[in-house]
Amino acid sequence: MPFFLAMTQGSEHAQEAFDAGKVIIGHVSNTAHEHALFVLPTVFGIDFSVTKHVFMLWLVAAIIFVTVTALVRGYVRQTHRVPTGPMNVLEVGVEFIRDTVISPSIGHDWVDAWTPLILTFFVFILGANVIGLIPIFDVLGLINHYFIHAGEGSFIDRLVHGSSTATGNFNVTAGLAVITFFAIIVAGTRAHGFIRHALNLVPKGLPLPVTIFLVPIEILGMLVKPFALTMRLAANMTGGHIAILAILSFVFIFSSMLNSAGAGIGVGLAFSVPLAAAISGLEIIVVLVQAYVFTLLSAVFIGMAIDSHH
Amino acid sequence: MDPLAGAGLGLGLVVIGAGIGIGKLAAGTAEGVARQPSAASQIVGATNLALFLLEGVAILAEVFCLLIVLFKK
Repeated sequence: MPFFLAMTQGSEHAQEAFDAGKVIIGHVSNTAHEHALFVLPTVFGIDFSVTKHVFMLWLVAAIIFVTVTALVRGYVRQTHRVPTGPMNVLEVGVEFIRDTVISPSIGHDWVDAWTPLILTFFVFILGANVIGLIPIFDVLGLINHYFIHAGEGSFIDRLVHGSSTATGNFNVTAGLAVITFFAIIVAGTRAHGFIRHALNLVPKGLPLPVTIFLVPIEILGMLVKPFALTMRLAANMTGGHIAILAILSFVFIFSSMLNSAGAGIGVGLAFSVPLAAAISGLEIIVVLVQAYVFTLLSAVFIGMAIDSHH
Repeated sequence: MDPLAGAGLGLGLVVIGAGIGIGKLAAGTAEGVARQPSAASQIVGATNLALFLLEGVAILAEVFCLLIVLFKK
């Protein structure tokens, strides 16, 4: 059930004691396939049902698309070249990424070719991380519990459970990392041709035994880099949420241990809520840094494929 | 030695290793920028890459420890 509604059942001796592990895992994982939001048919053995993380992906994409398109159209339509209003923020962001992340790594020959992809990574990952941090669906769960009273298996009930951070799911970040993997190959191929790019994997000027020894290591490195990108982003996002939830569960652990709602409220006010608020503040930094790191590393790897002279 | 203790020890060792590595990187960066403030952006840029690769290794190790905990049968 929604997290802080367990509070209302704290004062009577609940049949189920508060199982912190189960609640936390339920709040950071995707909705189960059986409780998918929109059930779609199974094609070629792949179940296309829409779970909460897929729904969040679409939501984030729609929000970013509408926002950026509206801003840029407004800017293109005006007569003077100086941007006004929120377009300034977009311009600062785009120029920052292009000048400090993309240009130094990729080199100015290929900047225009790879800026759209890298910028998309940055804006999308930042958007998905931030929207996961805002507890909209918990508020919706409160409203559902007190006003709407949607049934057990209804759409709103399924919408409220599970985590809303799409990038906390390693499948989502693996999808992004696969794009980086192919982008590296495409970048090297466009710059040097496919064979030259493959030969560039091992550095030149080394004795033959060392070169032969390096080939499997470099191939492994080619696979490990996107894997590291995947796990870094997913683990950072999920870990932050688990930390916040674990601190907030102290309220319910204390209230079920001492069998009084007052103890829970006391622990909450004195300890849990301030600490959880502080960690949420830290999460904001982590969100920005992780989006920046994914973007930076993608740009660096693409740059290494294009310009392999160092 | 039961698997959970091994995973816990491993996690602690990973944090020690990452802490030492990142600390040395940060110290080198600060010293380099202090000696030559005009090269600050280049020094920071060179440090960034090594920093994130090291952090990636640490996170990979943490993930494998978690796998030990989850699949310890």
